[in-house]
Amino acid sequence: MWRYLATRLLQGVVVVFLVATATFVILHLVPGDPISILVGEASVSQQQVDAIRHLWGLDRPVYEQYAIWLVNMARGDFGASVIRTGVPVTTMLIQAAPVTVMLNVCAFLVSVAIALPVGILAGVRRYSVFDYVGTVGATLGVALPSFWVSLMVIILFAVKLGWLPPFGLGSWKGYVLPVAVLATEQTAVIARLMRGSIAAALGQDYVRTGRAKGLAESVVIVRHAVRNALLPVITVLGYRVAFLLSGTIIVETVFALPGIGRLLTDSVYHLDYQVVQAVALLLAALVVAANIATDLVYAFVDPRIRIR
Amino acid sequence: MGRIRDDAHLTTRRELLARAAALGLSGPALAAFLAAFGDAPEIASAASATGGTPKRGGMMVVTGHQEISSLSPDDAGPTVHWTAVTQIHNALLELDENYALLPVLAQSYESAKDGLSHTFKLRQGVKFHNGMDFTADDVKYTYEWYINPANHAINANNFEGVDSVQAVDKYTVRVKMKVPNAAFLAKGATTFIVPAAYHGKIGERGYKVAPVGTGAFKLKEWRPAEHTVVEAFNDHFRGRPYLDFFRVDIVPEPSVRAIGIQTGASDSAIWPLLTEDSLKFAKDTNYTTFRTQTLGVNHFPINNKRPVFQDKRVRQAMMHALNRQRLIDDIFKGTAVLATSNLSPAMKGYYEPSVQQYPYDPAKAKALLEEAGWKPGGDGIREKGGAKLSFTCFAITGDQARRPEAEIAQQDWKAVGIDMKIQEAPVATITEKLHKGEMDASLFNWTYGGSYGDPDPSLTLRSNGGNNWSHFENTRVDSLIDAGLKEIAPAKRKQIYSEIQKIVADEVPFIYLMYWDWYNVFNKRVKGLPKTAFNGPQLYRKANEWWIG
Repeated sequence: MWRYLATRLLQGVVVVFLVATATFVILHLVPGDPISILVGEASVSQQQVDAIRHLWGLDRPVYEQYAIWLVNMARGDFGASVIRTGVPVTTMLIQAAPVTVMLNVCAFLVSVAIALPVGILAGVRRYSVFDYVGTVGATLGVALPSFWVSLMVIILFAVKLGWLPPFGLGSWKGYVLPVAVLATEQTAVIARLMRGSIAAALGQDYVRTGRAKGLAESVVIVRHAVRNALLPVITVLGYRVAFLLSGTIIVETVFALPGIGRLLTDSVYHLDYQVVQAVALLLAALVVAANIATDLVYAFVDPRIRIR
Repeated sequence: MGRIRDDAHLTTRRELLARAAALGLSGPALAAFLAAFGDAPEIASAASATGGTPKRGGMMVVTGHQEISSLSPDDAGPTVHWTAVTQIHNALLELDENYALLPVLAQSYESAKDGLSHTFKLRQGVKFHNGMDFTADDVKYTYEWYINPANHAINANNFEGVDSVQAVDKYTVRVKMKVPNAAFLAKGATTFIVPAAYHGKIGERGYKVAPVGTGAFKLKEWRPAEHTVVEAFNDHFRGRPYLDFFRVDIVPEPSVRAIGIQTGASDSAIWPLLTEDSLKFAKDTNYTTFRTQTLGVNHFPINNKRPVFQDKRVRQAMMHALNRQRLIDDIFKGTAVLATSNLSPAMKGYYEPSVQQYPYDPAKAKALLEEAGWKPGGDGIREKGGAKLSFTCFAITGDQARRPEAEIAQQDWKAVGIDMKIQEAPVATITEKLHKGEMDASLFNWTYGGSYGDPDPSLTLRSNGGNNWSHFENTRVDSLIDAGLKEIAPAKRKQIYSEIQKIVADEVPFIYLMYWDWYNVFNKRVKGLPKTAFNGPQLYRKANEWWIG
């Protein structure tokens, strides 16, 4: 078990390193640099621009910048933002992370709480009205772009009904709409999967056996069918972590929330290298961690899988 | 500028469009620019902005599109930054919403006849937020900080030509120039003053997050990506403002900013909304809407060194061949005004309307091309000496606002036998290649004079200008630019810049299309607004005179 974990972690580190390096390369392939953006149209002489570039080490050859960055990274130093002149990237991440974590944890809980029961019910009562309604809802949830859904819920709940603020985090109410939007797609995906999975499980021999030996239907479903049907769902849940984060970018932009997604888009626009690299690194680490966690949970849920 | 989506356009005070270019692009956002209209930039709806007795209290909320990454005056180029920074600081002179320079921390000022010195009498009894008195030492410190190359100030060039800054006495400052520079008053003297003792101790890095000025509001809370809150400063020299608080919320999506105004979550949007939203608010009497023109001209920079563009008649023909009004009407819903030369009509004091005009006239365009020796080839594209009258225009990648403009222009030009190919490239690539002369043409907005309300176009029209995108070389224009900077008398300066506009209209160094409109919408509950404005973003420096009614 520990050995397995160590191997997986090591692989994870390699993946994260590759992602970070690729980010570095891609960013530096983009023409321009943060200084050109910082300066804008201000009438700044080339010498001044060069001096500012030198100040930030951006006049060094790219391989040198890469080496410096690697060394800093190894020491846990993410560098500083050029655009927010000199503010450590770590500080920026710490400020932005709570918003994103809150959004995603809430969206995750909400979607699981809705999707599992709905999916199970739809799977058990296949082709019922409930199932059809659920299917239509799930299809819409997956198909509608979250950007559009965001604007629609703002118009409905903020403009027409006036129940919730259109943007910002003035109070807890500010979280309601973005969480709902984030949870929508997630709920749809999980519900569909749960339905299919439970339907398949209900056709299995062990379910027939359970029923044959006189177990209550609820016991058959909950203890046997659901437990088995959860396996693929868990895999997807882990895998969805990456999607959740990409959804966050849109939702944070539309609802004007100062989270990691906004930090990423803002810093990409400004080519704020250190910030983009740090966020990419963080996200890669998160996805890797989610995958490892999924595998571990898998082993826990499915007695047939043993981690060695 | 790399993908600048944001900031660009109109940063009005400094750089207007430079980045605009960039900016423009920002996806949906961009489209945003715009307001509508045409002749006279003035306020649209609303007459009743003023009205009523001022009331104290309350908070005014405005929305901007991009984070406020610093509160230092040196970083206040982008409009959203500037809106917060201007509440906290004052300058000796400030540009108002009608492009007039007003003495603020200066009580009066005088420029020597030879233009070699400017003397400012300072207002007395002004306090900084930390309780310190404002004196000549603070001015000297601030200006010297910008001038000192070791500080890498972004705005160092606003002090170009300054020889020394002297504190003559506690309330008199004299700025001596090495060479006369008339733009100093608009550029240098409008620099926000920081307290010498405090900034000296805390340094620029520290100051960016904890600014202390003489402004009507002092910093209360700063969360770069979320909001910036300033609160009334009781000891402000013009009196405590009516508002208790002024808050800038960062809302990237233009449609959400419009919803903010609609629901009352915010009182105004400092960065434009989508055109259709702006037009809707302008018609609604529940809102006060200001329509102003931008200073950056929407244009095709064209490399004058390229053989196809070397003949002035070709450039003039390109103007005549374009139905620019159709571009304005079809693409921008009428929210722009035709450009007549390099200066925007918003620059009322310097704008010269009597210049060569280029009405849509394809026949004249063809005649000019014939005259220049370009004859139609077999495929309809004109040729001369085996060369085709063909070039490539690089639009900014993803630029939803301007790409359609390029496509319509392409058709207009094709009709007279000029072939333009359209490709896309990121802003940084475009500016770099234009700079090096490695690109035929592009399409973006940029100021050719007008930044800070000063008409000097030395960066863009001087032969050696850093942003001379079209590689325009004209010795008369060069010497006029130099003369304009040396001339202090406003009437004489006007003559100089009028002549530059006439030369530009005759030479057509770049294909100028239009000046976009700029809308600023206010909720009616905001009272005390000025009656007219030519410069929308500059409105917000008056928040100290506004109240919630």
